[in-house]
This record gives sequence, structure tokens and C-alpha cells, in this order.
Amino acid sequence: MLFPFQRHARSPVRVAVTGVGIVTALGTGWIANAEGFRTGRTAFRPVQGFDVSRQRTRMAAEVDLPDRLPATRLGARQESRMDRAGRMLLIAAAEAWHQADWPAGMEDLPVVLGTTSGGMALGEEFFRRSSRTPAGRRGQATRVTHYQPQRQVLDLMAAFDFRGPSSIIANACASGSNAIGEAFERIRSGLSHRVLTGGYDALSQLVFAGFDSLQALSPTTCRPFDARRDGLALGEGAAVLALESFEHAKARGATILAEVAGYGAATDRHHLTQPHPAGDAALTTMSEACLQAGIGPSEVGYLNAHGTGTPLNDSAEAAAIHRWAGESVGQLRVSSTKGCVGHLLGAAGAVEAAVCVLALREQWLPPGVGVATPDPACHFPLLSGPASAEFEHVLSNSFGFGGANASLVLRRVR
Amino acid sequence: MVSPAGWGLASFRGQLEQGQAPSTSNFQRPDRTELPVFRVPTPPARPAWLAQPRLRRSSPISHLAVAAAVEALGGGDRVPETPGLALVVCVQGGSVQYSRRFFAEALADPSTASPLLFPETVFNAPASHLGAVLGTSARNSTYVSDQAGFLAGLAMAADWLERGLADATLVVACEEADWTTAEASRLFSRRSRASEGAAAVLLRREIGPVELEGISSPRPFVQGRLPTEALTAIRRELGPAETVFSHGVRGAAGAIDPVFGDGLAAAGGWTCIAAIDALLQFRGKSAMALVAGSNLQALGVRFSRVHTAGELPLQPPANG
Repeated sequence: MLFPFQRHARSPVRVAVTGVGIVTALGTGWIANAEGFRTGRTAFRPVQGFDVSRQRTRMAAEVDLPDRLPATRLGARQESRMDRAGRMLLIAAAEAWHQADWPAGMEDLPVVLGTTSGGMALGEEFFRRSSRTPAGRRGQATRVTHYQPQRQVLDLMAAFDFRGPSSIIANACASGSNAIGEAFERIRSGLSHRVLTGGYDALSQLVFAGFDSLQALSPTTCRPFDARRDGLALGEGAAVLALESFEHAKARGATILAEVAGYGAATDRHHLTQPHPAGDAALTTMSEACLQAGIGPSEVGYLNAHGTGTPLNDSAEAAAIHRWAGESVGQLRVSSTKGCVGHLLGAAGAVEAAVCVLALREQWLPPGVGVATPDPACHFPLLSGPASAEFEHVLSNSFGFGGANASLVLRRVR
Repeated sequence: MVSPAGWGLASFRGQLEQGQAPSTSNFQRPDRTELPVFRVPTPPARPAWLAQPRLRRSSPISHLAVAAAVEALGGGDRVPETPGLALVVCVQGGSVQYSRRFFAEALADPSTASPLLFPETVFNAPASHLGAVLGTSARNSTYVSDQAGFLAGLAMAADWLERGLADATLVVACEEADWTTAEASRLFSRRSRASEGAAAVLLRREIGPVELEGISSPRPFVQGRLPTEALTAIRRELGPAETVFSHGVRGAAGAIDPVFGDGLAAAGGWTCIAAIDALLQFRGKSAMALVAGSNLQALGVRFSRVHTAGELPLQPPANG
């Protein structure tokens, strides 16, 4: 039964990360992404997936998908119907699944995923065909079903032969962090021993045109927190985390990569697309996540900012960080990885959490890129080059359209 | 509750008791062929809350969501103050009208595609507007699912309440119709009619006239199909109920889809509210809503009546 709840623990359970899968324009998998994010490599190029010839900007961080999907229980026909977003999700999930060394055929494994647009490219094609050739229905039913995020979840479940409750969170650009946060809470509150979670989004013409129409895309380069920043750059990707209780992970001898230690979520009511200038909701989420983790600002060794590169987001986030950190603000180490791979929307929070696990595990600090002159609102040092450091906690922020705000705290596990 | 029968629970109840579908409206496709749809009729009077600044440019789906929420909160024409109220919003199609309009504009000429439309296309736009109108900064999450998503949303809300994350959580499902959804619906069944509307149920930790007793385990689709034994298993898991309402279950008693069409996520909400309303109308002590979603899962929920007629509060904590 979904309800009444049958919790296997009365006190909060510690939550381990035992598997990470990541796909970005920097590459596929842990090694390629660790190398890319550690060195601050950028991955933007002219968009190839759809026509951008009439847009203000034409660059994005597109993923080069491998020719073949990882071997799963999906047949060739099922694979052929998968869209780009579903393929990235499957690749990331396979990596996390294998790293966690989970068995196939788990009957009650919950899956909690975040996305903003599911298989939007298929929805776009459905619209084009319906508009231009109304009588031609060939393939249209498949496009309708496969553009919906439910299809990507079902494909994932079929790929590894597991069943259980599934949740698809669509809280705009905070979706990935909200998904990990909800998965974390399921385990922490004793509802589940394990949860597969993450986020995914592929570039699509509608979304690209949308951000361009808002003049939110940078016509130059994405430079989060730079005084002369002029917008964001879009990217695509997926990240999946295998989460489980410490007790469960230890009992089966799993390698614990990191701990999810805190989660905060709140709503910014200021505007549909603009954050409150003082970052009220961001302050709430950072405070909640750190309170739950039992740490203060001085114990945060690295802060992975939402840092989109838009004038409004970065100044509001900088203000919120200043308010939250107080006197410790000068000791913080902050960067936004969106300068490397762009804004991954529903995947952003999950990919950034995955990058934080990589950084914690290997003890390096992801540099931001493109910052020539820090915004005066930044009272904290901005990481601008590769660096190693010893640190125990990471705070990762994600803020989205509609005022969806989320923060996660990850802890190093030796 | 907003449905093709009208604005408010009373119109829904009346239509359900009649057992007859309301008249359809036609959406015109680009080639000027027409597609029949169950649309929400124009409200008898313009609700005062429509003047809220956040709703001026919003799409119909947000208006429907707010209308259902305000009724569930007992607000009538005014918006009740609800700081601290958590929101769970369920959608399947989402803001399809603005998405279709924006994409058509972008295809025609991206330089003139409206920046006012695009933000409204985001799945969580209705949830954002709802939070702003109700004045709450508490948790607010949008879930994409099929018709059964509303039942999963009830479970999520119950979890938040049980863990003390909120004192009350409003679960809302909302959908707007468009020629694209009507076209999509027709691809799967000639008899299916796309519809639109919204439903809202308020969950509180305190005792109310109706209690959420149980939500079944989800029965996911396997190989693109829902096993026929899934619904039997759900019934067995929840136990007997005096009244049963259903959506998506061919030939089942209490089926609401022949009357209201396929309202996607909203249909799950309507089915639950039909069950809750039966209890509020003292038609039995237990009621079940059984929803077979179209592409993710089947779920069932069981409600029971707690109070007798003389004890029924004027503002029931759970209604639509």
C-alpha cells in the first residue's frame, strides 16, 4: 500500500550514494565528466539538433550520444522508439545501476525523476505533422506516448526489470534537486531502503526558442557571476543517483560514494520568472538543508551555485548566499558549473549533485569559467581555476521558473 | 471542482447523477476540420480572484486550478489566506494551449514568438500562480503523471503531513483542452473525448468528516499494457467499499469517463471527489476511487465517513 505508510525506522536514517551516472556535453560517464568539470572545460558549439538559424543565439552544449545504448532488457524495437532524452536517462541510469551493483528485477524499487520537458522533441514532431499533414497519422500515436515523461520512466523500469512507485517532478529548473531531495526523504523517513533518482532533459526547439524569446540566452558566452554577464546558455544531459540507507549499503558491502545529508525546498512567490531580489526563498532552502545536515556555513567546503549567468538570478543568489553565510561569506568557495555545460533545466540539479559527488570523492573544486570581473554582489571568492582541496561538505543550489527553490547538502564519506 | 459540467461541485454532482455527458464543443484544427471536446463552460459570473495580477496573462489551466483550490478551501468568490499551505499539483498535458501557440509562433518566426507565452508553458506554472494567489511559500511541487497521478499526489501529501512538513496540503489536478490533445486522444480511441477541468482536495492532520483510509500499491504498465489482474488486486488490497467510482476501467460500475470524458490528470481528481462527495452526501460509510491511468499506472484509494449527519461541519476539511 502507498498509504498508510509502513516505515521501517522511527528515527532519521542516513542516506548513502552508492551509484552515480552522468551524461553531459563534456562526455558520458564519471571519468569524462570528472576530468571536464575538474579542469573547467567548456562544451558549447553551434546547435545541430534543430534549426536555430533565425534565433538571436545559436550555441548550446549538445551531447554526442554513443551509437549504442548500454545492454539492458530493452529490445531493439523499444530502443528504436526512445527519444534523445530517454536515451541520456538510460545511459546515466545504467552507469549508476552498475556502480551500485544493484540486482535486476527489484519488485518495489521507487524511482523519482525530475524533468521539465520529457521527450519534447517528439511532441514537437507530433505538432508539425498534425499541422501540415492532418491525414497522415503514421507514427503519431507513438509520438504522443513517447513524448510524455511517463514513457521514459516506464522504459527505465523495463530496462532493469524493476517495479515500484514512480514520481516525475516538474518544478522547472529545480526538478532534479527536488527529485533527489524527495528520494532522500523517502529513505530518511524509513519509507524505502533504496531509491533510484535523478533528472534529465534534452535540448528542444520549443525550449530554446522560449529562452531566446525572453532574451535570457547569452549572445556572447555564459559567465555566471561575472559583472558583465549577459545571459545563460542551454545544455542537455542526465544524471542518476542510486540512493540507499547506510545500513542497507553496509550490509551488502557496497562502496558508499557520499552521503546526502540535507535538503531544503521552498517557493519564491515574487514572480513567475524572476527571483526575489534578496533571494528570500533561496535563503530558506540553504538554511533548511544545512540545518538538517547539522552544519553551519563555515563547514561548507564548496558551494555549487545555481548561477545561470542571467543578471537577475546571479545577483539574487549572491544576495541570498551573503545573508545565509553572514560572517563566513568570505571563506566560502563558490562556482557555477553552468559555464561548462550550460543550464540543463530539469537535469541541472541532478547533474550538479553528481558533479558534487565526484568532487567530494576525488577532493577537487569545480572552477567556474569566464569570470573576468566578479559581480560586486559577490562577497565570496569565486573559483576560477582547477584546484584540489580537502573538504567535507558541499551545498548545491537549484532555483527555477515558478519560484521552485531547492538546496542539497552532500557529505564526504571516507 | 471544475468540470465540463460547470464550475463547482454541485454541477459535477448533478451531471454525474444524470449520467449523461454534457454537450461537446468543437476545436478547429489548422486544416479547419473539427474535433469534439468536453470543454468547461464559461462561468456564470467572472470570479473576483481572476483580477489577481499573477493571473492576468496566465493560461486557462491556471484559472481552473485556482477555481478548484478556492472552492476546496471554502473560499467562495474570495481567496482565503493560507500561509503555510503546501501544494501538490498533478498534470498530464499541462499548459497545452500556450505551448501549442508558442511553438507555432516559434516555427513561423522565432523573432516574434511571444515572451509572455513561454513562461506559461512550463509544467509548474499553474502551481506557481496558485501559490502566489494563496499567499503560501511552503512546499509546492508539480508531478507529471497520468490519470492516476492524483492518487499518488494524495499519498505524497499524506507523507508531508505525517512528517510534519505542513499542517495542511492541497492536492490539485488541472488540465486544459486543445485541438492537439483532442487529436491525440482520437488516435487511441474513436469514442474517447478529451475534456478539461480541475479538482482539489484538502488534506489535514485533524479529524474531518471524511478520512483517507488507504491508497493501493501502484500497478505500473508492463510492456505498454496494464495487466487485467491489476484492478482486481487493487480492490483486494483496499478491501470492500459501498460505493465505487472509476476512470479508465472499461465496463466498471461508477465509471465517470463516459460522462466527463478524458480529463487526463483532472479525471483522477474527479473520480476521488465523486467518492468523497458520496460520503459527504451520506451515501454509505466507505467509498473507493479506482483509476486506471492511460500510460503509467493504476491506483485505487479508499475513503471512509467519520462523522454522522448531525456532526458534519459547515466547512468540511475535504471536499472539492
